[in-house]
Amino acid sequence: MSATFAERLAAYLARAWGGPVTIEALARISGGASRETYRFDAVTAGARKPLILRRDPPGSLIETDRRLEFMALKSFHGRGVAAPEPLILEREGAELERPFFIMARVDGGATASPFSPDPYAPHAAELGRDFFATLGRIAAADPATLPIADVAETPAPDACWRRELDYWADVIDADEQHPQPIVRAAIRRLRAHPPPPAQKLAVVHGDYRSGNFLHDGAGRIVAVLDWEMAHIGDPLEDLAWALDPLWRHGETERVAGMLPKADAIAVWEDASGLKVDPEAFRWWELFASVKGQAIWISSAKEYRDGGFSEPVLCFSGWVTARRQDEILAAQLAERWPL
Amino acid sequence: MTPTVRDVLQGCVAALSRPVAPEAGPDYAASRVGIVSMLTMMAAAEAERCAGAAIKENADIRAAFADVPADYDASLAGRLSAAAREVDEDLDVPALDAVNARLRDLLIELHQAVEAAGDAATDANILALYVRMAAGRRM
Repeated sequence: MSATFAERLAAYLARAWGGPVTIEALARISGGASRETYRFDAVTAGARKPLILRRDPPGSLIETDRRLEFMALKSFHGRGVAAPEPLILEREGAELERPFFIMARVDGGATASPFSPDPYAPHAAELGRDFFATLGRIAAADPATLPIADVAETPAPDACWRRELDYWADVIDADEQHPQPIVRAAIRRLRAHPPPPAQKLAVVHGDYRSGNFLHDGAGRIVAVLDWEMAHIGDPLEDLAWALDPLWRHGETERVAGMLPKADAIAVWEDASGLKVDPEAFRWWELFASVKGQAIWISSAKEYRDGGFSEPVLCFSGWVTARRQDEILAAQLAERWPL
Repeated sequence: MTPTVRDVLQGCVAALSRPVAPEAGPDYAASRVGIVSMLTMMAAAEAERCAGAAIKENADIRAAFADVPADYDASLAGRLSAAAREVDEDLDVPALDAVNARLRDLLIELHQAVEAAGDAATDANILALYVRMAAGRRM
């Protein structure tokens, strides 16, 4: 009889730590369509370690480099951002067959579905200030001094926009299964009206939004999650993504279900020491919706190519994609005349 | 449109018929069933309306083609004019989707030509069409 997943994980950790390990309370966590995520306790030498395992799936929403996620966590853990501590990076897969990494688990925090109404009441405003101040601190850091600089390409300030737009436009080219005139129009408009160079290079989390953090239920973030799309680029990219209407929990007055837009930007500016140029930000807001649609188009393709086996990919490639098209069309009509 | 209702339901059946890996645990299995349940209900709603949505969108795109000024290049103008005169005859959803894909490709080509010509009025009409297209597919 072959070893169970827990036994193989225990064998790996025993080798890594040089002593016997037992695995307890192993369970997969829902979501995380681009990595399989498991929680478990590792018991070794009488000590219990609460941990998270993130393993590459056979198919994923987006092709991401686990080294980047690991080094992004390493860049911010213990540096004023609630990034979980990364512990082990296994690039070959070893006993678990696919690459993975292990990080410390932060217990006691709650997360929210990005589609549930008013998930942060009654501490939404306080949490919003922590959320946007945290993002501001990420933006303020000098990436050249951080571990992520060892694995991430550093673009020129005037090349950030093109690199990101090219990447996500290529994803659409590769994965589109039905013609998408709305996002195609948005891509052309972005190319025709490039933004000014980034005012500074920053670590871009890549998926900083409502639903991608744990909070304590009293207005404080206890863990910033899902750093798998981290890179170095224009800090406005993250702010625009966080403000995308997709993550507003159906609200019109508050962004991310937490703060009025002007307040969110003010908190971010205060924490980052940067200013939001409205014209540059208009570009990054439209780009955020293009990037979103690229991810949803990609998930629809992976749903089909993966034999329709992962329901969350279906939801993203179907329901979320339709909503993103509405957001894109509204932006084009209201803010991007020829 | 993708995924089709068939794709969605095929995935729901696959998800329910394959056992969840033992290491995933009961909470994950319950969550998976929850997503499948929601997708099934949404597929039922989509099945009722997707043919009508496709017919309406196809008609809206053809109307936009009919309104285009005649001074675009002859090849494009001819294809726009021909597409504008078509009607949906085969009302099976795969047939409607195939026509929709062809019309959308032509719409992309038209919009590129409009942008190149700096035709702000037609551009505004196309952007308004996009708003209607997205709203018509709302779930």
